[in-house]
Amino acid sequence: MKMQPAISTVNLTKRFGGVIATDGVDLSVSSGEIRCIIGPNGAGKSTLFALLCGIHAPDGGEILLGGRDVTRLPAFRRVRLGLGLTFQTNRAYHNLTIAQNLEIARRRNSARVDSDALRRYQHAIGLFELDQLTDLPARALPHHQLQWLEIAMVLAGGPDVILLDEPTAGMSPEETMQTASVLRTLNGMGLTIVVVEHDIAFVREIAHRVTVLHEGRIFAEGSVAEITAHEDVRNIYLGRA
Amino acid sequence: MRLLHLVNGGEDLGRSRWFWIGFAAVILALVALPLYQTEFEASNASYYLLNIPLALGLSMLWGYCGILSFGQVAYFGIAGYAYGVIAGNLTETSWGPLVGSVGGLLLCAAVGAIFGYFVFFGRVQGWIVPILTLVFTLLLETFLGQTAGYQWRIGAVQLGGYNGMTGIPPFQIGNFIFQGYAFYFFALSLTVAVYFISRVLMNAHFGKIMIAIREDVLRTETLGYDVRFYQLGVFVLAAMLAGLSGLLYVQWGNYITPSQVGLLPAALPVIWVAVGGRNRLLAVAIATYLLNWINYTLSEAGNQYAPVIMGALLLLVMLFFPRGIIVAIAELRWPWRRDVTPVSVQDRSA
Repeated sequence: MKMQPAISTVNLTKRFGGVIATDGVDLSVSSGEIRCIIGPNGAGKSTLFALLCGIHAPDGGEILLGGRDVTRLPAFRRVRLGLGLTFQTNRAYHNLTIAQNLEIARRRNSARVDSDALRRYQHAIGLFELDQLTDLPARALPHHQLQWLEIAMVLAGGPDVILLDEPTAGMSPEETMQTASVLRTLNGMGLTIVVVEHDIAFVREIAHRVTVLHEGRIFAEGSVAEITAHEDVRNIYLGRA
Repeated sequence: MRLLHLVNGGEDLGRSRWFWIGFAAVILALVALPLYQTEFEASNASYYLLNIPLALGLSMLWGYCGILSFGQVAYFGIAGYAYGVIAGNLTETSWGPLVGSVGGLLLCAAVGAIFGYFVFFGRVQGWIVPILTLVFTLLLETFLGQTAGYQWRIGAVQLGGYNGMTGIPPFQIGNFIFQGYAFYFFALSLTVAVYFISRVLMNAHFGKIMIAIREDVLRTETLGYDVRFYQLGVFVLAAMLAGLSGLLYVQWGNYITPSQVGLLPAALPVIWVAVGGRNRLLAVAIATYLLNWINYTLSEAGNQYAPVIMGALLLLVMLFFPRGIIVAIAELRWPWRRDVTPVSVQDRSA
């Protein structure tokens, strides 16, 4: 029996004027997988991310979350169905305390937080070293911990799949590796993770499979080893394709 | 216990024992006002008080939730006119004013809900919202201004064009008519009640969501909240509080004109709220009372420059105390204060 993908798209298409930013993308991320989506600038990563979130509406195709068609659902409904999101720029509430940030994140979805999800959340809070800091305003945190806070906020809602847009942007190599290690641990606890990423070193650390976007299409897909050995992928990254 | 906890939460000024002693002393002084002031002065105090619900509504809408409205006076006017029409037609029964009050509030809620539905569910954002609210109130003023003819009457009540609607009945329950000192106590108790309800609401989860929306709409939506629904909720609440002020105004002065919903009255609440400190309810209430008192005192002294002085005050406060002057005073390092670093949610969007 084939397992239901955690999140998938069928022939997903988005145009901006004459530009086709997403061109018939068929993506399928299995439950329990860590998938990285990479590609050079302008490959359509951000548009694909925005389509999966529900920030943009596609011009064609379908988005399925746990087998359910969510193509026409607004972002908040997808979140209630088990999708967690973080963005390229940090969007934790900088003027609220860490406890308030986590409480706001927890309350809406508390009904869908099962024991596994709760365990993942509590684990993350500990690994991210946020448990001792709850009365601190978020803006007092160093950059990397602010990024971690936002991941913890997303986990507070008990998602099945999290979608992270460049989660390690601006982090030092050590912080990046620490983030990778926490994400691997969470994945081991049953969380499906999709990462849109630039940093190949980070991708090597975590990805089970890698999807390469180029000019709005899926250019290649495979394990990290396969992708990094792929001649054409190296060419497009170096601008030779 | 939980309610007390919410009253004393961190989203408004004052949490210490000394604060509450001072607060009680001020309320006591206000309750005892008839002992040391004439009925005329108490009536003036009623006027300063009755503007506070409108200002608190705008504070929640703008200061906490980040939605600026120049149109709160529209709901003030809608409730005032609706009360005038309903109570003015039900003079046979002593329940007319009560029916008129409920009708005025419900009409505010309905108009606010319809307007808010199109704005928020249409995803109108940023500076378009205050402009739309201002346009709405100016349209209402223009409409009411041209209702001078005899054909503009509803039952026994004339809308009256720019001459306004006169002879509006005072508030009454059974045979008891609220006038003079009685009206003062009525306005005072409603104002204090609205203040406490607002304070509890802003300290509760609802208030946290207001702040979350103000800080980041997209983040709040992608934590699963239907942001539009909350925006609509606080908008309707603010409309009803503005309506409450409008009701009290016509019950106090027995009179309303279209210029009450004009450009200058539309701008004044924004000044009260900004001068006090828009995301602190108590600061807003104090500023509203004091600024109305200053405004009245200046106008009474025959000073036609009252609006100019009020405008200058807004400019100065925005330049030197962008978070509001009452908030600035409250957060001074008073020598007797131990907690000099309040964990307050600062709104730096200004």
